[in-house]
Amino acid sequence: MGNFSYLMDGFSTIITWHHILIMIVGVMLGILVGVLPGLGAPNGVSLLLPLTFTMDPISAIILLSCMYWGALFGGSTTSILFNIPGEPSSVATTFDGYPMAKNGQATRALTLAFMSAGIGALAGVIMITLLSTWVAGFALQFSSPEFFAVYFLAFASFIGMSGNAPAKTLVTMMLGFAFATVGMDTISGGLRLTFGIPDLIKGVSFLVAVMGLFGIGELLLTTEEGLRFDGIKARVRIVDVLKALKEMPRYSWSILRSTVIGIWMGITPAGPTAASFMSYGLARRFAKDKSGFGKGDPRGIVSPETADHSAGTAALLPMLALGVPGSATAAVMMGGLMIWGLTPGPMLFIDRPDFVWGLIASMYLGNVVAVVLVLATVPIYASILRVPFSIVGPVIVAIIFSGAYQIANSTFDMWLVLGFGILGYLFKKLDYPIAPLVLAMVLGDKAEDAFRQSMLMSNGSLSIFWSNPLVTGIMALGLLMLLWPILANAVGVRNLRRRAAGHSAKI
Amino acid sequence: MAELQKGYVSRKTMEIVTTLLTGGVGIAICIESWRSGVGWSDTGPEAGYFPFIVGSLVILGSVVTLLRSLFFYNHEGEIFIDIERAKPVLGFFLPIVAFIVISLLLGLYVGTALYIFGSMKWQGGYRWWVSTCAALAVSALFYLVFEVGFQVPLLKGPIEGWLGIY
Amino acid sequence: MLKQIAGMLLAMTAITPAVAFEPTKPVEFVVTSGPGGGTDNFARTVQSIIAKHKLMDAPVVVTNKGGGSGAEGFVYAAGYKGDPYKLTFGTNNEYLLPSVAAVPYKPEDLTPVAALALDEFLVWVNGKSEVNDIKTFVTAAKAEPKAIQFGGSQSKDTDQILVSTIAETTGAEFRYIPFKSGGEAAVQLAGGHIDANVNNPNENRGQWQAGMVKPLCVFRPDRFPKSEPVHDGKGWSDIPTCAEAGLAIDSYRMPRTVWLPAGVDEDAVKFYQDVLKKVSETSEWADYVAKTSQTSQFLAGGDFTTYQTSDRENVRKVLKREGWLVE
Repeated sequence: MGNFSYLMDGFSTIITWHHILIMIVGVMLGILVGVLPGLGAPNGVSLLLPLTFTMDPISAIILLSCMYWGALFGGSTTSILFNIPGEPSSVATTFDGYPMAKNGQATRALTLAFMSAGIGALAGVIMITLLSTWVAGFALQFSSPEFFAVYFLAFASFIGMSGNAPAKTLVTMMLGFAFATVGMDTISGGLRLTFGIPDLIKGVSFLVAVMGLFGIGELLLTTEEGLRFDGIKARVRIVDVLKALKEMPRYSWSILRSTVIGIWMGITPAGPTAASFMSYGLARRFAKDKSGFGKGDPRGIVSPETADHSAGTAALLPMLALGVPGSATAAVMMGGLMIWGLTPGPMLFIDRPDFVWGLIASMYLGNVVAVVLVLATVPIYASILRVPFSIVGPVIVAIIFSGAYQIANSTFDMWLVLGFGILGYLFKKLDYPIAPLVLAMVLGDKAEDAFRQSMLMSNGSLSIFWSNPLVTGIMALGLLMLLWPILANAVGVRNLRRRAAGHSAKI
Repeated sequence: MAELQKGYVSRKTMEIVTTLLTGGVGIAICIESWRSGVGWSDTGPEAGYFPFIVGSLVILGSVVTLLRSLFFYNHEGEIFIDIERAKPVLGFFLPIVAFIVISLLLGLYVGTALYIFGSMKWQGGYRWWVSTCAALAVSALFYLVFEVGFQVPLLKGPIEGWLGIY
Repeated sequence: MLKQIAGMLLAMTAITPAVAFEPTKPVEFVVTSGPGGGTDNFARTVQSIIAKHKLMDAPVVVTNKGGGSGAEGFVYAAGYKGDPYKLTFGTNNEYLLPSVAAVPYKPEDLTPVAALALDEFLVWVNGKSEVNDIKTFVTAAKAEPKAIQFGGSQSKDTDQILVSTIAETTGAEFRYIPFKSGGEAAVQLAGGHIDANVNNPNENRGQWQAGMVKPLCVFRPDRFPKSEPVHDGKGWSDIPTCAEAGLAIDSYRMPRTVWLPAGVDEDAVKFYQDVLKKVSETSEWADYVAKTSQTSQFLAGGDFTTYQTSDRENVRKVLKREGWLVE
């Protein structure tokens, strides 16, 4: 248990008032950038970077990583309260989180989300503590074919969720792929689907799409129902927080499954977004009673949140152990490491165990601090819904459009948000599922890149997807997931099927 | 149309309009991806291969939905939106458009303040001084958080220039 | 009233001598890469040095515009013709991109200010590979055409151009697999999924420390300056230059460049050149360059133009041969 004693050393380094204060400041700032859709964690972290030049590396990384945790939590908050995902990985949380908040249970939804997120993150850190060496080796086995297989698996476990109008699902999913394609193509180095419009060179930002489809689209629907949030009636009480905490053990299975998915996706590194979608899809697929999904089923909140955070945490391991940033935020942090005089990479564990294990210890503590802070502030967030719509609505609109502008200092993006808003409104009213569009948009170009890289490696032969046990296994799992509904039918789980068809979630 | 005179738009009409819209997008995708090459070369698919398939599938899905709406329609008689409901939606939507246009001309701070003032005054029915205070407060908060706190500039117009704020 | 104001304004302009340009509002640093990218680190280092040494009174705002391999940032800056408050940071992609992709700007839409450093390229192979020098590597590649897989960052960009140049020089044939970033190419090499890459020192340093990858040669005219050993007693200065190891490419480097929009005053260009010159003389700059194993080289005015012309000339030859030129 060499790692364990290192970890204890790490704890003894970081448990000082100075460090805990830094954690609190980091988490608070993180929540702020997470709540504002245009800012986001990478922006916040790169802004704090110059501040850290004069700090010692451990304090500096604690500040930055805690800001990252805070931003993850902040992103879930807006998903649940306003149906606006702060980042791709919290999209799946909107499916059930927002309906639950709309039903007047905002406090419950937020508490469940934060608590399961905290559990997911802790599971991720425990994995890093115990398995760091092994996991780094495992991550190295992944190349383009394996990545493609993982993306395929993510799609396969999510698809088939929206049963009643396959043609409409096809349209939205394919539109998602098309939006992901816009801009510079990695493999050929040429521009695609830009229609000669200079503003499209940078591509269609995912955030622009979700702010329009979910945020503006939902606001338009809300005004149609009478210019108010339904959550107004709900009173906000601390008791509700405790009640929600008490029901957590009921979802142990969902949590456990989501943790495994999250950790796996985090280290491979397919990332938190794939993890949260997969985990949501599987939670729904394996649920005995699917009727509540899409209408505020607690498992639909717990599963994606757990997976999102365990993946987000686990994704820091490749950064430390291999020197590969798993996300934009991690890339900025790596820039920081170099400025502080450390070289991210495999030798960091050996050269600077004090730093690495201090960071890992701070992940335990930072997440606990973050969970406590966000839980304590749940009533404050939930009471935002009690402010009259004629104030909150315009403020949200203003935040969305200033955020849209900030993403790339582009006024074109503001019109794009409006366009997506109209699209979202139309799609929702006409029962076009939006989730497949979002999933395709997030993973589509990555899947295509991975596929075409594989083809370059194999000289155009598809057999590369069955060339080793790892990729074969994942592909087989993906096919199994894709065919699951048919298989389940054949095996005779008709009862399940019938119920699923009757109550397909409209998301 | 007859529907419009009765003060509503039927769901069927909107279904058809939407399929025409998505179908049009599908055609645009196909045409644009054609230029990137849609073949399968000896080193795998060309740049336009997947987008072309994607565009074709969008067209396919749109056509199927169109046919379903025309011949096998199971929401017959449903109303997409009537004039009663359209009013608040437009009342929310048009100010957003105005907000964007004003922001492009005068900058986001001025746009935000005017938009929040307008919404509160005319939709919320608040008194003018309440609305003014709230509008200025939100703009000021934006300035503090974005410009001062996080150093992310928002779009500015001539008024900030006169005030000497960049 | 109006007349008076006009008069005063006139008087003011008359009194103020035609002094050099001095920014009076925040200067925007347009970074043509995402957060954490090489260009981002470059721009933020310059920003922190300017702030620390107070080389400029006006504040600096950094915006990342890395979409379309950086085209987003250049198009954005090109749209601000004559605006001396948009300082754009890039590499040689400023004049490279318009040749390989139909991007809506021309290299002439930006005024060159200066180049501050040259980033190096090396040939790297997996740490367990039996190949220890570039000659063996090339021989092996020649024995089996198109068997060796080179990974790199992006397509038709510096990495692929270098691989193509190696192929042309030696007569060997390679397969090139583009990834999103040099970091990805580094991990794929460490995992043994590709055979080689041509990463910058900074992108492979961590893996080299652990012996997961090893360098064969560097495309510099001379060896790296003496420094600490990195792995197994070997340091950067022990890496042979490619020319001395038998691969006849004397030098292949990527400049870290700074630009202004076209049509700005000569004074503004001069002002930023002075600031950047001072930046390049600080110890923090030397530190940054040493840590990332780049070469500090300040080029401005005629020197920079000459450098660009010859760099463009070389690149265009490759592009033409490969049929990548768009016009």
